[in-house]
Amino acid sequence: MTGPAEPRPQRELRLGRGTFPPEQPLLMGIVNRTPDSFFRPGVTWDETAAMERVHQVIAEGADIVDVGGIPAAPGAEVDVAEEIKRTAGFIAAVRASYPDVVISVDTWRHETGRAACEAGADLLNDSWGGYDERLAEVAAEYGAGLVCAHVGRQQPRTRPFRVAYADVMADVLDRIELLAARALAAGVPADRIVIDAAHDFGKNTWHSLEITRRLAEMTATGWPVLVSLSNKDFVGETLNLPPEQRLHGTLAATAVCAWHGARIFRVHQVTESRQVVDMVSAIRGDRPPARAVRGLA
Amino acid sequence: MVPELRRACLEAALALLHAKPDMITVVGVADSTRPFDPDGELDVAAYAPALRSGRLRAGALVHGSNQTPAKAEALPLPLGLGSRLLDQAGYAGERLLYAVGERERPADCAALGGRLAAAGERAALLVMADGSARRGLKAPGYLDLRSAPFDAEVERAVRAGDMPGLLALDPELALELMATGRAAWQVLAGALAGRQAACEVRYCGDPFGVAYLVASLTPAELTGADG
Repeated sequence: MTGPAEPRPQRELRLGRGTFPPEQPLLMGIVNRTPDSFFRPGVTWDETAAMERVHQVIAEGADIVDVGGIPAAPGAEVDVAEEIKRTAGFIAAVRASYPDVVISVDTWRHETGRAACEAGADLLNDSWGGYDERLAEVAAEYGAGLVCAHVGRQQPRTRPFRVAYADVMADVLDRIELLAARALAAGVPADRIVIDAAHDFGKNTWHSLEITRRLAEMTATGWPVLVSLSNKDFVGETLNLPPEQRLHGTLAATAVCAWHGARIFRVHQVTESRQVVDMVSAIRGDRPPARAVRGLA
Repeated sequence: MVPELRRACLEAALALLHAKPDMITVVGVADSTRPFDPDGELDVAAYAPALRSGRLRAGALVHGSNQTPAKAEALPLPLGLGSRLLDQAGYAGERLLYAVGERERPADCAALGGRLAAAGERAALLVMADGSARRGLKAPGYLDLRSAPFDAEVERAVRAGDMPGLLALDPELALELMATGRAAWQVLAGALAGRQAACEVRYCGDPFGVAYLVASLTPAELTGADG
């Protein structure tokens, strides 16, 4: 399948009560409600620590808070009830503290999505790519947004094994167009749909580098593009560094994605990422420098 | 990446050549049982897109072309890698590339092995087969405690030249354990059916959570023969 002949323009994105123009990059701060999160394991497991983390990411300038109850990696099973226990009450607490912040829930399950929306979530971050087809229906029912992600043929919480693509970006585009069409058919408004190539999901490091290199083909679809790069293994394998030393590699990939027109950046380190995306915005001509006096006075 | 494994594979290929076969068949598991074009190539870019340009060389894919194959059909991974290994070893003789389907029953695998053993007067097989990919918390398939005993049994059977032991491997269990080489080992078992074989194990390990076994099996009547 070939892509569109002409790039489609990016449009306004509505999330929660906000409307965001294409030129405004958004930061989604990661708050993991898991005891075994791979980045700084356990930091946000305790509910108080998790709320402190929310305060921190919002103070650092996050536009969206992303709450997830299950690690992406294989491990001890977390069933629906436990997942809801880890996320729904916490989302309600975040909503109570911050009536206007955009809250997303990182889940593949429609039951969890429903509980999260009841608690005040605005966006369903379906990081396992439509595994549960009913998640789109829940998004439509609550007027929430939906992330449509490409995960190859991976089942949730499994690792890629000898994955091959004749053309990985073509596979990504085919899958996300299908998921977006499914979301529209379920009743999710077009201006609440987001797409994500899901780096490292069903992709080895070479594949993740390729989709980064060719991210412009995703922004050319017209759908707002979310990238989740933070401290991922493709950064670690490229630079041969462990998770706690992947910030610079992550920021390099962030800058490239921002240059290609990605609009939402799912990050652990908000302050650093904000500086990177704001710098790239200015380079692109999407925003002016904060001040420009030197040589002009 | 694990130079001793690379060396073991090359030495195994060289040992095959040293026996002066008149035909080498590369055997590996794929979706279905069928031969592939002996001139076929691996579509390296399907696994590593940046290698398509030819500007980069990396790892195991250093030898041979990394261009998208001109022929319509790219080789399954085990056949493509086996064929490259023969090239790396300098093999210029006749080769066959035969895939065995991952769901093929043991008896049918063995029958195929019997036919491939008769593919020449001095037929050789290069069997590309891996054990369980579920050997640890960091393994591609995470940890399944049944993997260690399963792979240990494969190793025992190979070391002992116990072909019925290989034929007794349970296909369903192998599938659950992501032991992708099961059907290929059973082709090997069919090729050596009823014969004594001396075994030299060159490598046995799981550096990445996937069981790799590299071994040379020589039928007893050939040890001490010419060539």
